[in-house]
Amino acid sequence: MSIRPILRYPHPLLKKICRPVERIDSEILTLIADLIDTMREGPGSVGVAASQVGVTLRLCVVDVSQSKLGKECNHGLLVLINPEVLSSEGAATMREGCMSVPDYTGDVERPTKILLRYTDEKDTLRHVTAEGFEAVAIQHEMDHLDGLLFLDRISSLKSGLFRRKSYR
Amino acid sequence: MNRVHFAVTVISKDRPGIVADTAEVLFRLGCNVEDSSCTMLGGDFAMILTISHLKPFVKSRLVEEFKRLHDEKGLVAHVRSLADDELNRPAPVGELCLVSVYGADRPGIVYRVTRELADRLITISDLNTRLIGTEEEPVYVMMLEAYLPDGSTIDDLEQLLAGLREELHVEIGVRVITPVAL
Repeated sequence: MSIRPILRYPHPLLKKICRPVERIDSEILTLIADLIDTMREGPGSVGVAASQVGVTLRLCVVDVSQSKLGKECNHGLLVLINPEVLSSEGAATMREGCMSVPDYTGDVERPTKILLRYTDEKDTLRHVTAEGFEAVAIQHEMDHLDGLLFLDRISSLKSGLFRRKSYR
Repeated sequence: MNRVHFAVTVISKDRPGIVADTAEVLFRLGCNVEDSSCTMLGGDFAMILTISHLKPFVKSRLVEEFKRLHDEKGLVAHVRSLADDELNRPAPVGELCLVSVYGADRPGIVYRVTRELADRLITISDLNTRLIGTEEEPVYVMMLEAYLPDGSTIDDLEQLLAGLREELHVEIGVRVITPVAL
């Protein structure tokens, strides 16, 4: 297990459409463990996609359970392999930032509730309904799998730096 | 530091090409546009920019070029040299809030609200106002984002502004913006 460096835009891999994970082998399991470590290391980070560490596979990890906004409503650590949003509803705007686009934030509108289908690290097909901040985080990470950054979705830019104090 | 920095403001009666004319001058001089914020204000267009150039570079070259732009195209520009300690935005320490204020127009809305904030060391990071409504019934709208000092809460801010609601007969909304790192 190790922390992998996060690629920053304009690294070209961040704009690639990722390919599905075909087999969950030891290499994928190592990648998952590294993604979790990398997420935990990031300042206040609640998710990392494989493409952010340079592996263009449809795989991301999300955990909002330790965050102020997500602690009331979450599914703990989610390892999302080949995730798909089956349905979504609602809309809310949140000011998003991204470890791959440092020192910048922007208002992004996303559905507030999503039904998700994905495979977990034990190769089990799962369905989860995510709401609120967890839904936002999942959708942000899933965008990375399609080569999309929050910069592709913003309605207005705010040159906001994050607070020094962690907001987890 | 091998670059010299300036703050530039440009304002002109609105027409197509103000940004392009300004950017062309800067490009020709070899300046980099760093941060900028540009918007229409009434029938004018206003630009605020911080720019940089490799040293050596003197402010008078910018001033001369903008003078030419003024004579030929009517743009009014102002250039100010920036000290090194003005270059970096300080990292915020407190909670970020959005304050919206609106109501029948009257003198002192901006002043009273911002004075209350300033007296409590609340830092405004963004502010826009707009006069809307009709000539008979003008409505004033102000939106601002502000960082509370560390340890101060949104409830403190709510309480602070509650008195102004009465005094100014305006609606005041306060909400926390929590930027999320994903």
